Amino acid sequence: MLKLLERILSVARTTQVWKSIFRHGFPSTDSNRALVMFSNVILHLHPVRVRRGALKIKFTWCLGGLTFLFFILLAISGVFLMFYYVPDTRRAYSNMKDLGTVIYFGNLFRAVHRWSAHAMVFSVWMHMTRVFMTGSYKPPREFNWVVGVILLAITLVLSWTGYLLPWDQLALWAVTVGAKMAEASPLLGSAGPFGPELGMTSSNDVAFVLLGGTVVGQSALLRFYVLHCLALPLVTALFIAVHFWRIRKDGFSGPL
Amino acid sequence: MAEEESNTVANQSKLPDKPGRFAALLKKTSKGSMAPEDTVLVWPHLVYIELICILFGVAVILFLSLVSPAPLEELASADTTPNPTKAPWYFLGLQELLVYFDPWLAGVVLPTMIIIGLVLIPYIDPNPKGKGYYTFSERKFSITGFSFGLALWYILIVVGVWFRGLDWSWYWPWDDPHMHQPAGAVKLVDLEVILTSVLGLSESPLVTLGRYAVTIANLLTWAIFLGYYAVGFSIPFLFLRKFYKKLGFVRYNLVMFLFLSMMGVPLKIFLRLLADVKYVLVTPWFKI
Amino acid sequence: MKPGEKKEGESAEEVSRRKFFTMMGLGVGWGGMVAALGGVGAGALRYMIPSVLYEPPTIFKIGTPDNYGIGVDTKLKKERQIWVVRNERGIYVLVSICRHLGCTPNWFGDQQLFRCPCHGSIYDTRGNVVGGPAPRTLWRAAISIDPVDGQIVVNFSTRQDPDPKGTAEGLMVEEMSREVEPYFLKV
Repeated sequence: MLKLLERILSVARTTQVWKSIFRHGFPSTDSNRALVMFSNVILHLHPVRVRRGALKIKFTWCLGGLTFLFFILLAISGVFLMFYYVPDTRRAYSNMKDLGTVIYFGNLFRAVHRWSAHAMVFSVWMHMTRVFMTGSYKPPREFNWVVGVILLAITLVLSWTGYLLPWDQLALWAVTVGAKMAEASPLLGSAGPFGPELGMTSSNDVAFVLLGGTVVGQSALLRFYVLHCLALPLVTALFIAVHFWRIRKDGFSGPL
Repeated sequence: MAEEESNTVANQSKLPDKPGRFAALLKKTSKGSMAPEDTVLVWPHLVYIELICILFGVAVILFLSLVSPAPLEELASADTTPNPTKAPWYFLGLQELLVYFDPWLAGVVLPTMIIIGLVLIPYIDPNPKGKGYYTFSERKFSITGFSFGLALWYILIVVGVWFRGLDWSWYWPWDDPHMHQPAGAVKLVDLEVILTSVLGLSESPLVTLGRYAVTIANLLTWAIFLGYYAVGFSIPFLFLRKFYKKLGFVRYNLVMFLFLSMMGVPLKIFLRLLADVKYVLVTPWFKI
Repeated sequence: MKPGEKKEGESAEEVSRRKFFTMMGLGVGWGGMVAALGGVGAGALRYMIPSVLYEPPTIFKIGTPDNYGIGVDTKLKKERQIWVVRNERGIYVLVSICRHLGCTPNWFGDQQLFRCPCHGSIYDTRGNVVGGPAPRTLWRAAISIDPVDGQIVVNFSTRQDPDPKGTAEGLMVEEMSREVEPYFLKV
């Protein structure tokens, strides 16, 4: 049986189709192992060789990679959730109920999305702590640390915009509190220091722009939906690309 | 490790005979000085570690998702706030901070300062040592300062998660979480009110600038607030010359401002908890 | 051309004039681009500020004054986010939005206090802050009597918000200064 499978595979590898997809032989020789890193777009994130120290799990704890994994899981589960979700204050909550009661595996996708979000916040925080403790932000990697801090901030904003969407009590009040904080921004908020003096009112300040109104209602839900599902993930992906690129360009700081 | 090494050596012994533009990469890394024995091929060594990490991460997420599905509270209604209302754990540090500081400070300025402070770290830490390995002895100040901030953040989160209950009152684990705590046993008072009554100062304003009535007690609170920063900036400048010289003028000021602001947070919290001080500094526009 | 190397007949003045026009051209070009981008940015920002709102009405009637007895009436909190309070002198309407971060405080009849569940702010029946982090006193909404049917008309968006004074009791506003039109009905 196994022999047959091997036979089929070896024949398949000689076909034009197979060769058009994989531009190298099976990665069992060093040259093919190098070629696989060259020709595969995802593996291309890596160099062909790394220093032995880079394999030490106790140095990185895989935290950056895990953060990226959780981001991928969030993107996948998020796309699935979007198939059953309408950003309408009259329908959003019942969509959530449907996911939990009548849609097969609806609960699972919600739970995966939620746990991945928790895990991503945790691992991005831990990753930052690790990078600090190993001094990996020191020259020439200063800028990549800055990109990392931006990614940390976007991660938190993504979490915050995400929990308005179920339109339950936590959603409403967490965002009400957040919007009030925005309203209290110095200079830019109608309730903040020197805001009123600069002509800020509740219908032109930063909270109004954020909510698209004066209360957390339909326009706020739509804005948060667009930010959460489209705008912020795109920005995150862009910064992740820069982050990875700079790791390759600046080199790995680990021990020899 | 030893196994991997022998593996690599074995791999190298059967290096492919066909030369190519990548052949050089097989032998050395981008850092030409490094001997090939120091490096390993990413495929399979690193790729397998990553595969195991991915499987592990997905397994943990799936397990958690199966044992604990995502909660859904009641339908949103603007007229009733659930009691207590708790944000997710990663925002509870912020929510706890909001008890001690006004929203503009706790919700906007302090988070902004944290983000800016984090961004500035690589530029205000001139210490070349401790790059790429764990060490405490070579970077005592930076590790202590960073850990202090982290610890503060985690303590606030722990307090928010486990010690706050109905009406955001303090609940010990043995308190009944369904009983409201008595309110208003302690009144919060502004520092200038305390100064006025303790020192017997006059309450009539010295000058009135628009909405701002400046009293002697108010000037005293300004002196205390600015004095905190002034003394904080001067002590290392005067007595830790080596510290100052290492950082230089610009870095020193940035470091001290961020450090003193960070220390100011627990200081204000202690003032609130021990002396029931509501605000240290009061103006018509902002209160700290 | 290398500096200092000049063609015959080309004066220094001509070179500087050419340089001047080059700089002008560059300035106009780059300046125009920056201005255009800035204009698009400003337009995008203005675009994000909606000009039409579909929000609940802010002016509504709450019945005649004799519906409200002495003390705090909480029956309109759910529907209208207000508490109607009557003291010995008349009626005022407190907005049931915490001045700290916008949660809805709860009324505790036994303690005669409003207490906010989010961050623990505490208010008395006048709206003064007697505990917790709230930086200002509760809003009072503008009220009047409809001359036709005698009902109280509440204007939810016109609110009284005086600067409070820090005292040993909490953040206080002199009560008589708050009991003025249009925020108070002497009925």
